[in-house]
Amino acid sequence: MRYREMREIGALLRASWLSAASYRLQTVLGIVALVVGIIPLYFVANAIQPTIGPSLETQGDQYFSFLLVGIIAYGFLGPALSAVPGAIGGGIRSGTLEAYFSTPVRLPVLLAGLSAYTLLWTLLRTVLLVAVGAAFGAEFSWGGLPSGALILMLIVLAHLPFGLISAAFVLAFRTGGPLNRGVMAVSALLGGVYYPTKVIPSWIQEVSAFLPLTYGLRALRRTVLEGWSMTAVASDVLILCVMAAVLLAIGFWVFNYALAYAKRAGTLAQY
Amino acid sequence: MISGLSNAAPAPATGHGEVAPAISISKLDKEFARQKRWKELVRHPFQREMIPALQSVSFDVAPGEFFGLLGPNGAGKTTLFKILSTLILPDSGSVRVFGHDVVAAAATVRSLLTPVIASERSLAWRLSAEENLRLYAVLHRVPAPELRRRVAELLQIVGLADTGDKMVGMFSSGMRQRLLIARSLIARPQVLLLDEPTRSLDPVGAREFRRFLRGDVAVRQGCTVLLATHNTEEALELCDRVAVLDHGAIRAIGTTQQIARQLGDDVYRVWTRDPAHRSFQRLELDGILQKVSSTPHVEDGWTAVDVTLAGSADEAAHVLAFLIESGVSVSRFERRELSLADLIERVVTAPNAIPRDA
Repeated sequence: MRYREMREIGALLRASWLSAASYRLQTVLGIVALVVGIIPLYFVANAIQPTIGPSLETQGDQYFSFLLVGIIAYGFLGPALSAVPGAIGGGIRSGTLEAYFSTPVRLPVLLAGLSAYTLLWTLLRTVLLVAVGAAFGAEFSWGGLPSGALILMLIVLAHLPFGLISAAFVLAFRTGGPLNRGVMAVSALLGGVYYPTKVIPSWIQEVSAFLPLTYGLRALRRTVLEGWSMTAVASDVLILCVMAAVLLAIGFWVFNYALAYAKRAGTLAQY
Repeated sequence: MISGLSNAAPAPATGHGEVAPAISISKLDKEFARQKRWKELVRHPFQREMIPALQSVSFDVAPGEFFGLLGPNGAGKTTLFKILSTLILPDSGSVRVFGHDVVAAAATVRSLLTPVIASERSLAWRLSAEENLRLYAVLHRVPAPELRRRVAELLQIVGLADTGDKMVGMFSSGMRQRLLIARSLIARPQVLLLDEPTRSLDPVGAREFRRFLRGDVAVRQGCTVLLATHNTEEALELCDRVAVLDHGAIRAIGTTQQIARQLGDDVYRVWTRDPAHRSFQRLELDGILQKVSSTPHVEDGWTAVDVTLAGSADEAAHVLAFLIESGVSVSRFERRELSLADLIERVVTAPNAIPRDA
């Protein structure tokens, strides 16, 4: 990526931050809610620990840490899925989309710039969650955090295409459609967020094999909770990479198709 | 005041060494599908009814020219602007900006041309005016060392220097319009598209803005300006040439004086005591007069009747002689000076009568 494009993403990020920061109370309340939200999580996790502990196996022994990592990864799904369609939909409603699309900025740079703030804010929340979680006794393998960050990035990349497809729906039909909600719900139920996938009934367990989150979360927990190396989780990471590559190609193709359709139909910035 | 020249790419030359027109539009067509009612959608789900938005539109705009687009609502002005801004794809025909095709070289076109997006909501309301300009300065690739000075200059130009640090949400509508204009000028575009730029400005502000557009943007910076307006006086004051667009087609094009001369020469006002005299009808039936219309103007019992001649000025003498021979009392017979607004109305209501120079 060239310096000019980094500068463009930076400018969009700065504008989003200044805009969000102008709602000061909302920003402070969001952080307080995040911190306070961990407390019941800690007590519930400790209460369930004796029952679920044995089924965690190679994904950490402590259910509180297991749950915290699941919630952190799941927390990235929301922005990955909704940042682009949210920016497009908001841009159509406000008229900013037309203004942005009239600039010489390349489309992928524009999309990255418009989604950057949401993703960075989620990253900041993650750091806060990890810190507060550690203070409550969550056991992390600190050496595995860099690998964990890389895996988290892959999880985001594997889910971004669903956001692109949803944004394509917004461009073409003015609604994001049910895709995002479907992916979120299925990932929460079958992706191993709240419990290991092996406790899911066998007849539906196979579905989890098609979810990027299953592989991402397993690799993430093994690195940040068990201290496994990237080589040790290579098979899961490889599958995640392939899924991300294929889905990104499909996502960009669908988005570009919808963009061309909207430009032909004259509905690009039509509210 | 703006200083320095445009930082956009220089205009490419044509194959013959001539400078390409700033805007070149040839046989441009665009149609949109009409939105169907639920009943139609169920009965004929795959049938589409198309509505023409632009029909075989062709014209060139020279570099540095101030060109006006006039026409009623729904004439196709906005569609044309959006095609030039690469926000809508044309169905057929060619649209080039300094020789660059708006479809094949959309990114280059966007670096040469900037539309003024009229929607106030397109500004970031939670940011200050200065922050809004800084954002678009980066997106339009204004060099970093120049950015701060450029933002300050533009705030000064549009009269927002004292309120540059104020949140845009607290601005009046007129202030936001001025900021939209400043935003579009941030990149020093070679072509500027303006859609009703003075509609939210007070009369003094509008006059100052027109002066700025003509003096600084067009003359000093050499920027080509395409102005869509309902305000015919504004078009007269600013534009070198105008085109009248109606139902997606160009009805007339030329300098304002050309159009006024072409369309205004044949309208005469007859002051008579017999506005309903059958001689008027006879001249109309014989095709000597194209149109006879009574006006509400009455002076000392003399009524004004506007007549449109089918022929040249010589015909006027013939008509006057005929009216007098027929016993019609005529106190005055004078050529009527039509305003540009009247001319446009004529263009729109009687398109067949309108000559074109392009």
